[in-house]
Amino acid sequence: MPVNLDGIRTFARLAQNPAELARHARGNIELWANLFVIGWAIAFMLWQGAGFAVIVLTVFAIWAILAVSLNLVVGFTGLLSVGHIGFFGLGAYTMAILTSDPAYEQLRTEAIPTFGWTFFAALPVCIGLAGLAALLVGVVFNRFRDDIFVLVSFGFAIIAFNVFLNLRSVTRGAFGIHEIARPQIGNWVFDGEVEFLLLGLAFLALVMLISWFITTSSFGRVLTAIREDEQAIEVFGYRATHFKLAVWVISAMMTSLAGGLFASWTSFIDPNSFILLESVLLVSIVILGGLATIWGSLLGAMAFVLLEEGMRFIPYLPTEYIGQARQVILGILLVLLMLFRPQGLVGRYRL
Amino acid sequence: MAGNRENARGLPRLINVPGTRLLAALLTALALGYIAWKIGQAPPQALQFAFNGLAVGAVYALLALGFTLVYSTVWFFDLYYGAAAALGAYGVFYLRTDPSLGSRLDPNSIYVNVFFGAVVSGVAAWTLHTVLEPRLRGRTSPEVLRAGVILLAVALGAYTGIVLALPAHIHLTLSLAVGLATAGVIIAAVQRFAAALVPTISPTRIALAAAVPAALLGAWCGYLLTGAPGAGLYLSWGVSCLLAGCVALALYRGLYVYMRERARSPLIMLVASLGILLAIAALIVIVFQSAPRALPDAFGSTPWNIAGARIKGFNVFAIGVALAGFVGMWYLLKLTSFGRAVRAIGDDEEVSKVVGINTTVIIAVVFFVGAMYAAMAGILTGHDTALQPRMGLLLLLKGWIASVVGGIGNLYGAILGGFVLGLVEQFGIWDLAGEWKDAIAFVLLILFLSFWPKGLLPRR
Amino acid sequence: MTGNDEALALQTEGISKHFGAVRAVDELSLSIPRQGTTSIVGPNGSGKSTLVNLLSGVLPLDGGMVIIDGVGLRVVHAHETPDHGLTRTFQEVRLFDQITVWDNIMVVLTDRRLFSSLFERIRPANRRKAQEILESVGMWEKRDSLAMELSYGQRKLLEIGRAMAMDVQTYLFDEPFAGLFPQMLERVKDIMKQMRADGYTIVFVSHNMDIVRELSDRIIVLDSGTLLAAGDVEPVLGSAEVIEAYLGA
Repeated sequence: MPVNLDGIRTFARLAQNPAELARHARGNIELWANLFVIGWAIAFMLWQGAGFAVIVLTVFAIWAILAVSLNLVVGFTGLLSVGHIGFFGLGAYTMAILTSDPAYEQLRTEAIPTFGWTFFAALPVCIGLAGLAALLVGVVFNRFRDDIFVLVSFGFAIIAFNVFLNLRSVTRGAFGIHEIARPQIGNWVFDGEVEFLLLGLAFLALVMLISWFITTSSFGRVLTAIREDEQAIEVFGYRATHFKLAVWVISAMMTSLAGGLFASWTSFIDPNSFILLESVLLVSIVILGGLATIWGSLLGAMAFVLLEEGMRFIPYLPTEYIGQARQVILGILLVLLMLFRPQGLVGRYRL
Repeated sequence: MAGNRENARGLPRLINVPGTRLLAALLTALALGYIAWKIGQAPPQALQFAFNGLAVGAVYALLALGFTLVYSTVWFFDLYYGAAAALGAYGVFYLRTDPSLGSRLDPNSIYVNVFFGAVVSGVAAWTLHTVLEPRLRGRTSPEVLRAGVILLAVALGAYTGIVLALPAHIHLTLSLAVGLATAGVIIAAVQRFAAALVPTISPTRIALAAAVPAALLGAWCGYLLTGAPGAGLYLSWGVSCLLAGCVALALYRGLYVYMRERARSPLIMLVASLGILLAIAALIVIVFQSAPRALPDAFGSTPWNIAGARIKGFNVFAIGVALAGFVGMWYLLKLTSFGRAVRAIGDDEEVSKVVGINTTVIIAVVFFVGAMYAAMAGILTGHDTALQPRMGLLLLLKGWIASVVGGIGNLYGAILGGFVLGLVEQFGIWDLAGEWKDAIAFVLLILFLSFWPKGLLPRR
Repeated sequence: MTGNDEALALQTEGISKHFGAVRAVDELSLSIPRQGTTSIVGPNGSGKSTLVNLLSGVLPLDGGMVIIDGVGLRVVHAHETPDHGLTRTFQEVRLFDQITVWDNIMVVLTDRRLFSSLFERIRPANRRKAQEILESVGMWEKRDSLAMELSYGQRKLLEIGRAMAMDVQTYLFDEPFAGLFPQMLERVKDIMKQMRADGYTIVFVSHNMDIVRELSDRIIVLDSGTLLAAGDVEPVLGSAEVIEAYLGA
């Protein structure tokens, strides 16, 4: 049974008993990983001050939602999907088109349909559309496994990117969509960064709760069995394809939720946010943090965000190379993980 | 073991629904019929698309050939392969953009030169040791052998560094290597011939007799090269391919060997090579920046007009390279003992080890050759269109698709799949805009995996 | 005829399976009665494992019909076999490696339906049953370790325990005794004897003739995918053609 709140439990125990800590810490990579990332996060936030911390945490919340929902597919079901960026983009574009300011959009030469809805009205549509798309894609993809699944999921990401870039009458292509509305309840607009952060964390909590509910149920146990041996679990009376399809759709819906949130937060999106590379980075977050644990995904997302922000303070590193340097480090980390720790930092499943 | 391999391929069974084959046949017939009708509407345009398809298909075929060679030997998808394509193309750019050659960006950097020098000396040290050790065993002490190998390897690495550091004078720096290589080839050829004609003479004596004319010929070749600065472009193709191959070999020997010993599944190897691809793509951006780059004109860049279609000589050349690559691979795999060893390893690595095949060496050569094919494909793409840091991943995926379409692990399938993919992409964008061609490729892949999971020509 | 069918747990009518040119199972017709123990023997490559895979739907049929519990099936879907009262173990042990021993048992005790399984936590009845089974195969202390960490014999036992948890009428055991130490072997034998006494139908594949003689009520001998002989143990094993197939092979 995957123990999801392991990190928190460990800390709770350690806080009470320093002697236990010393004994436990020796050679325990999980503990060190937890301590390192959380310690780094706290130190960083304290050093940089509240304003910056809020932004970092918001980015973290969005990546964490993505990582937790992708972990359902990669870690628990064993389908290495590199295509989830497609659902992220679908959510973001749906949100953008439904909520962008019609008055502003009319000024552009190439008009796209605008609706001017509010965030909370558009969110169910985002999720529903992604669920529908995932259902269609999943029916086709359900038959593929292992590396062929990786290949077709690459394909999905590329097809999705092509649609975002080239379906100009809907997405305005490379120009992107501006003036996406911030969330709003009645007259209260989530305008400030702190309010938005709270909203993001609330959604993250919701996604974690759903993931926890799924993975601790019998359904979750069947998923892990499918990951281990799909044919064997069929013999015991489960229709593996249905279970895979269900978790794929759920995961895609949660991913598109993150997409909607992202669009609303940045208030401007263009196809460059949804390139294949982002998807690969997302997969590396999930693997880095730990497969088949929810806590691991949080840890991976936090490490990833801190890696980028921390890079800013490396002397002699020109700012335009920060993204690349992070990518190099992530790549090397992936290789090292696969060599020495194929389950990731705190994972429960080795690839 | 067999079960594992089946698992590794992850190929699905054909959909178990009656009429699937019929539906597939119907779809194919409809598509072909539509294309035939389109061709009838506008023959010159059709000729143009067909030619473009073959030109693009040549690149895909090259990629698929190398990809299928590597995959059907080690049975995991090595994503470094995409990075090799990008490295090949950017290698040519690196060697051809010295300010004295008229370029504004000078990417030449001491770090890059030292890095590749180190890679080459590492690879050379291992290769020399593997080649020389069994021959000199008992004749020299291991210490002497090791010292000699290290000395030679360092010298080779330094030489590589110098070649890379002076891109404008590549025809001068490389004339030495070309001369030596020519002499070596001549000696080897004479040896072979003489041994076949007069088996009684000792090979050493033949080599000695051939050495003088060979040295003279080699020196002459080298001298000719020093007077031909225009040869720099073609020399840089060779250097670029060799370097991409060396990196592949270093990766295999330095990393994959250990990783394969403990890997539980091919996915581990896939993810690790994905990490390498990520790192190399980012390093390329750091060295060359992210803006698209163009390679200098190769020959035949002005199009000819044939029956209303514009045809570039360079594209014809690319098709020729693909066919030559196919013939070379066919010779290597079907007619040499190396090919037999490769097939044996592909069938069962453990058994091959037991019957005395040095699997590490054979697989190392496979990686080297595969990466060279990828690099050549990258170079052809680079000359035809533009260089982008992300081109590696996309080319890798195209090669992957082409080998699935053709039939994974089948040599003939690889070249067929490449051309089919190229043609489908080009005819597909006849009605859609050109931007959609990547999407078309993946739709083709998914159709194939659904209806012909084993590809056009399945591996027997 | 119908009365006869009632007494049959499993029946095949001319089933075939080809791998390329190799006819692994060729027009095979046999019947296995309800209750008691039936063993399937035959030389290597005689199609024993293929037969088990065909009966349990792991491999698709190339032709013929399988009749499980009186229901004729031209296509056997693996996920429907428990509904027909059939389950199996695998020749090469196929446990769910990276989950715990406990979950390996629990996974076959839970709800098969998608939505209800989503809302199902471990039920007390299932908990008791899993504990019972783990204790009966002697694995209760190991319940929290991963299945991949077990020894070979323990894995074999756990797989049998997992099949027992299904609680169906007919059990197909593919080579349950292969590679076991004598102590483990006795344990598996005891389990199978107990199941037989409880009125289940047991079909097992084995190479070990002593165990076959000891355990089975009936025997089926296969040779290159066809039925060589079937019936009571001693007459079949004593017959000339069976001896020839074994010694000649």
